[in-house]
Amino acid sequence: MATVVKPPGAPAVKTGKLRAWFYKRFPIEEFISDQLVGYFAPKNFNFWYFFGVLSVVALALQLFTGIFLTMFYKPGEATSFDSVEYIMREVDWGWLIRYLHSTGASAFFVIVYLHMYRALLYGSYKTPRELLWVIGMLVYLTLMAEAFLGYVLPWGNMSYWAAQVIVNLFGTIPGIGPGLVEWIRGDYGIADATLNRFFALHVVAVPLGLLLLVLLHLVALRRTGSSNPDGIEIKERLGPDGKPLDGIPFHPYYTVKDTVGVGVFFVLLAIVVFFVPTLGGYFLEHANFEQADPFSTPPEITPSWYFTPYYAILRAVPNQRLGALLLLLAVLAYLFLPWLDRSPVKSMRYRGWLSRAFLALFTVSFLGLMYAGLNPPQGVYVMIGRICTVGYFLYFVLMPFYTNPRFDRVKPVPERLRYHAHH
Amino acid sequence: MTASGVIDADALADESRRHFLLAATVATGATGVALAAAPFIASWNPSERTRALGAPTEFNVAKLEPGALAQTLWRKQPIYIVRRTPEMIASLANHDSRLKDPQSRDSEQPAYAVNATRSRNPEYLVLIGTCTHLGCLPKPRFDLARAELGADWPGGFACPCHGSRFDLAGRVFDGSPASLNLRVPPYSFADAHKLVIGVDEQTGAA
Amino acid sequence: MLIIDSPSESRAERAPVSGWRRAAVLLLVATIVPCAVLAEEAAKEPAASAFGADWESWHPGNSVADIASLQRGARDFLAYCNGCHALKYERYARLGQDLSIPPDLLQKDLVPSGRKASDYITTPMPPADAEAWFGKPPPDLSLIARSRGTDYLYQYLMTFYVDPTRPTGTNNLRLDATAMPAVLSSLEGLKRAVFKNVQTRGDSGVVTQRVFDHFEMLAPGQLNHDEYAGMVRDIVNFLDYVGEPQQAHRRALGVWVVLFLLVFTWLAWLLKKEYWKDVS
Repeated sequence: MATVVKPPGAPAVKTGKLRAWFYKRFPIEEFISDQLVGYFAPKNFNFWYFFGVLSVVALALQLFTGIFLTMFYKPGEATSFDSVEYIMREVDWGWLIRYLHSTGASAFFVIVYLHMYRALLYGSYKTPRELLWVIGMLVYLTLMAEAFLGYVLPWGNMSYWAAQVIVNLFGTIPGIGPGLVEWIRGDYGIADATLNRFFALHVVAVPLGLLLLVLLHLVALRRTGSSNPDGIEIKERLGPDGKPLDGIPFHPYYTVKDTVGVGVFFVLLAIVVFFVPTLGGYFLEHANFEQADPFSTPPEITPSWYFTPYYAILRAVPNQRLGALLLLLAVLAYLFLPWLDRSPVKSMRYRGWLSRAFLALFTVSFLGLMYAGLNPPQGVYVMIGRICTVGYFLYFVLMPFYTNPRFDRVKPVPERLRYHAHH
Repeated sequence: MTASGVIDADALADESRRHFLLAATVATGATGVALAAAPFIASWNPSERTRALGAPTEFNVAKLEPGALAQTLWRKQPIYIVRRTPEMIASLANHDSRLKDPQSRDSEQPAYAVNATRSRNPEYLVLIGTCTHLGCLPKPRFDLARAELGADWPGGFACPCHGSRFDLAGRVFDGSPASLNLRVPPYSFADAHKLVIGVDEQTGAA
Repeated sequence: MLIIDSPSESRAERAPVSGWRRAAVLLLVATIVPCAVLAEEAAKEPAASAFGADWESWHPGNSVADIASLQRGARDFLAYCNGCHALKYERYARLGQDLSIPPDLLQKDLVPSGRKASDYITTPMPPADAEAWFGKPPPDLSLIARSRGTDYLYQYLMTFYVDPTRPTGTNNLRLDATAMPAVLSSLEGLKRAVFKNVQTRGDSGVVTQRVFDHFEMLAPGQLNHDEYAGMVRDIVNFLDYVGEPQQAHRRALGVWVVLFLLVFTWLAWLLKKEYWKDVS
């Protein structure tokens, strides 16, 4: 039976008997009409607006490839490393599943960082999207935990020493620190017990948490509607049919547009997976091709690239406890953005040069921290790490001042979206 | 669609172009999904390690006494090796009418086991010791006329799970829940005493 | 094109441990004694032609698509390296398949007697003994090309030099104080490293450092420099292959995958443009 989905305003879908049977027993029709066709999104989404959908794609990719890896991986000090090589060499197509998972992890962070940056560009965290932003930050924190746990599982030498360093960070907590570290490890050093519980967390507990948080994130989005590059609330200008004048139905316009985005993502993913899966040691570190060795520290212990900005902040101060505290503050700082930002205007397009300058400072600092964190804490990298730490925190700490319209000369915000037809 | 209701040729062309592109994209996408699924499905195949471990099993029959059963393992399956006495071989005749598949037409065995004794060499019976009903291990019942098996029991195997019975060539008796004879694996003799299970003319050298 | 020519030490002689103890001791003696003798002689001889100042920029320039090179590398690895180093993740059978070695030739020339082609490539060196002799067991080399890189491996095998202060009689530029003896010295020959003093300005004034300057050959080996470099390149190439045996297949498949995805994305883009005509 043919079904024609007409643009909104047209009569409801034509249904066959089987479809009607389902519709009576399950709210599919309402879902399509309310959440897809009936969900109006701003029509001026640009490049930065692909990354929400791509985040979901990346999550699905990791879940799917991860489940298959779990079918062959054997957690345990004596078996983990060998089982990964077993997957790479002896399981039919195991190498592809493994590379998809390792590349997918890095891809996930590229996507998530670009997704978060969009919010900084267009004020997507401002009213009424504060909760949406907070939930998103919880997704980010959970994702970082998931990535850390997963990285330990191959039980390579970097896995071992990264676990050592990060778990030791908890020892800086006053009073309960040392006991806490032993409790996390389940042993006197990073050992089999640690590996096994990290496996359970990485495969079951944290993914469930991630799924729940992503669902909450989407539910919150549905209530507030999406932001847009002009920072205008499209719901404030409704047409005679009650639909936003500057909105278009998510389906089919954004389903179709996002398909292109997904295609481009897979092209880039495939290029890495098939031609440069280690990406010169950034996606699969060299030291991790050696088994964990408690007696041999790799010449440079660096975490994966997506953690290095915070690692650089940790190393910026010579005091371990203070460094750990700064790291924690750096990661939590994002949570406060909706309340630090005092600008009456959402989008950078209409803010003054002061706001833009500080965003540029943050961008350069974040990238500089990432660069410094990837290198040994010597020479010029120390200097870069320290300067960029200052730049990073200034973005947050001074925000109430430089976003104040008394200092930041904002431009008038248009009433309707700026949109140029895509022909 | 123009308000006047006049057919808009451009709009119609758009509509058909739209359908074509949608169909093309969906078809390509579906093909992509199928191609992407293939490696994941293939990953469930026995791995290289399993294939290596599934290599042939060797068994030395010199120590096997006449009338005795030995058990070994090949590809995780129990293998029964019976050194049949002349009486046991003789008992194979004369009860074809009580068998479901006396000529082994429907059952599974290599070409050289399609004969009266279901083996290369009448003296040695090689079977996969898995009941063709639901997979239990049939127990050897070589003694003639056991009480519970009846006075005309010629000797063979009886499965404890659901009562299937097989003769000394692994052929299934009428009245058994199983319908096929016990399977014969590929095997060959490397020399007079070395039985190699898993290797024959077709499967080639180890 | 198939080059399977086992050197003098055939598989049949790989017998029990006692034979290996003897062999290892002989190997050590064979390396140390000539080194000691030649070092003394070198002190009296004039310098031979200098080379190697640029050793840190030496690249193997290998290609895992070069099957002939991989075959030579496999042969040489099994002959000269397998006595101490295992490749525990690689099976002989896989080697045969990927390197186009016929199964009977594989079994005869490369697989040790009594072992199956489907076995993993282990080493006869007992780890406990190895630790006693060398200080640490010679590492498995299945993944060495992925963890250290081919440049490192090439430079390592090309920069052994005579050093009487070391228990093995040799040292290495790439890995200082390496526990491994210069097992290929009979092929490469023996060379010594000439160091020079270099003054640099440090934070606390002028610092004098001893820096490598060049090599000088002391005694020739069976191969000349280019032949030896070629052999090392083949061995490194082989180790590159062993690190990831399916890499050639991966790249070949990738071309098709990317092409397919580009076609799909292009179609999706046309579809998007078509639908977005509606939006003004």
